[in-house]
Amino acid sequence: MNTFVDLYSTTSATAQLRRAQKITEEENEEFSDGSWGSQAGFGTIVKGGPSFMVPNVPDPTSFLRLHTDDHADPSCRIKIQHGTTTLAFRFQGGVIVAVDSRATAGSYIASGTVKKVIEINPYLLGTMAGGAADCQYWETYLGMHCRLHELRNRERISVSAASKYLSNLVYSYKGMGLSMGTMICGWDKTGPAVFYVDSDGTRMKGDLFSVGSGSTFAYGVLDQGYRWDLTDEEAQELGRRSIYAAGHRDAFSGNTCNLYHVKENGWQFVGNYDIAKMHYEGNGTGAGPYGYEPRITGEN
Amino acid sequence: MSIMSHNGGSVIAMVGKDCVAIASDLRLGNEAMGISSNFQRIFPVSDRIYLGLPGLATDVATLREKFRFRVNMYTIKEEREIKPETFAHLVSSTLYEHRFGPYFIEPVMAGISKTPTGGVKPFIAATDLIGCLNFAKDFVVAGTASDKLYGVAEGLWEPDLEPEDLFETISQTLLNAVDRDAFSGWGALVHVITKDKVITRTLKGRMD
Amino acid sequence: MENSFALVGKGYLIVAADTTAARSIVKMKSDQDKIKALSPHLLMTYSGEPGDTLQFAEFVERNIRLYQIRNLYPLRPSAAASWIRRSLAESLRSRHPYSVNLLLGGYDIASDDPHLYWIDYLGTLSEVPFAAHGYGAYFALSLLDRYHDPNATLEEGLATLKRCIDEVSKRLVVSPDKYKVKVVDKDGIRDVEL
Repeated sequence: MNTFVDLYSTTSATAQLRRAQKITEEENEEFSDGSWGSQAGFGTIVKGGPSFMVPNVPDPTSFLRLHTDDHADPSCRIKIQHGTTTLAFRFQGGVIVAVDSRATAGSYIASGTVKKVIEINPYLLGTMAGGAADCQYWETYLGMHCRLHELRNRERISVSAASKYLSNLVYSYKGMGLSMGTMICGWDKTGPAVFYVDSDGTRMKGDLFSVGSGSTFAYGVLDQGYRWDLTDEEAQELGRRSIYAAGHRDAFSGNTCNLYHVKENGWQFVGNYDIAKMHYEGNGTGAGPYGYEPRITGEN
Repeated sequence: MSIMSHNGGSVIAMVGKDCVAIASDLRLGNEAMGISSNFQRIFPVSDRIYLGLPGLATDVATLREKFRFRVNMYTIKEEREIKPETFAHLVSSTLYEHRFGPYFIEPVMAGISKTPTGGVKPFIAATDLIGCLNFAKDFVVAGTASDKLYGVAEGLWEPDLEPEDLFETISQTLLNAVDRDAFSGWGALVHVITKDKVITRTLKGRMD
Repeated sequence: MENSFALVGKGYLIVAADTTAARSIVKMKSDQDKIKALSPHLLMTYSGEPGDTLQFAEFVERNIRLYQIRNLYPLRPSAAASWIRRSLAESLRSRHPYSVNLLLGGYDIASDDPHLYWIDYLGTLSEVPFAAHGYGAYFALSLLDRYHDPNATLEEGLATLKRCIDEVSKRLVVSPDKYKVKVVDKDGIRDVEL
């Protein structure tokens, strides 16, 4: 009824809002996002999603694939880091998250000290497999939205909602070359929760997941030792041993194991364990070495 | 995936003062999956010559058998032990026989030869997979970690190392290089050849 | 997909292979025995290209038998492994290579101990305490690193094998449902039901 009044009045609330909006728009024209940081920077969050530079060619997607897909062409110029082992499982005492720390580019071990667990906030953890930058960027971005959710709704976001948010985000970029396989782990009103999310758009709730080139080796040990009523110590030991197993057998996994435990009052970092040390000495409690040969020769 | 890195593995040889050393890792893989951590790829040819065969594992075994046969035939015919220089040419010509369908191996050899004056002369050599000989005065490398081995050896090697120091140098070079290579590692083996004995040691390495 | 496992224990060797014979997407047969007894104390599993597998296995079987007839004693496991490896390596560079993966295991009556060899279609040979071929290897090897004990009794060895089979059935998308299991020890070869 008051549409016209609103439209032409210079003192109404909407008019003032309009004026404010105009000013910010002008400011943004003068200083582009780029001048405050990068275009994909998180400062843009108030206006919606970040924006990305796209290669100036007719088909950016196939252009990117041509230069980054080392399966089709091992000599391609841009190598995205691939091999990994990550795992997470739910049990009576919360969630165990364990990952290795190796980054490879082709056969070269580019780093042995990668942090593959992303601490989204004190109650949420994300794991990193596939494109390191993709995981890091989008899970940090997810963290900001989780915080906004808290401010808006005066309660913490559920693991389910957070993972759905990430899933929807990466799905909107489907076909553009994003590569991530991640587990979003945390504790919310429903208790401990683990969700698997990947860049295909898959999202699954589950008790036990492992992702990466060494995941099959991790499953071999994990499945055999897994029970819901594991004690905290047993569960942490199982996580460590599974990552060790994958680090041992898989060429693209190894170096060290990072172990996290999510409990009711948030996650805690349990420790960083050298896989070579676990092979020869075990976990340091005197329970014996993890490696097959040291275990056997110690027995005789 | 390259056929040369199908099974993984690397070899290095170094010259010291009146001694040589040759070392390799012990991994046998099937692409990314490790199969065995006890795969020998260095073989004695005579008391003073050792041959390392990094590359495709089936050809490691085939060439080892072939060289054993040919060196035995040489010894019987000539009624003397083969010299390292001669053996290097035997390796080279054996590989070139398969110029158009090569064995996927890049041999590395190390030995010491006697000089007419009664002294000893250290000898190392390597060839590519079709037999192009490379005689070096310092060190030779081959295998999936060869580029990393070059880097570390370039930094650690120095001339006229005594056997014990040479052992330390080659061991550190190998262990540190294979720790940066996904397809090499899983333990290591070192031979140091001196004029009156061969010292063989297995090294504890990272097993990942 | 085809899977085979083998493990060495105290005085015995266990060998298992799935029993499916598949052509394209069809299961042609579900009780195929893919483990050959090459001599009184020697077993071999074979998998790979259909046609090549059986042809090569029979070729090996006849030649090992011929050796025994000529020499009045059978080849020892290590010698048999070397001969088979060489056959595959020579075949690899022929006009029509055999595409067969093998697990060869036997009880050496001369030295009184079991031996196991992992052999692939390229002619790669490696002596190992336990081995697997097929996609099942990706799950079984880490499991065996954890649970295999070379000093275990036969019952414990079979329990470990069962763990491998269960794990592969649980995780592998196209996993076989039935396995044939054979054991060789100082008394010779026998079938075992899990």
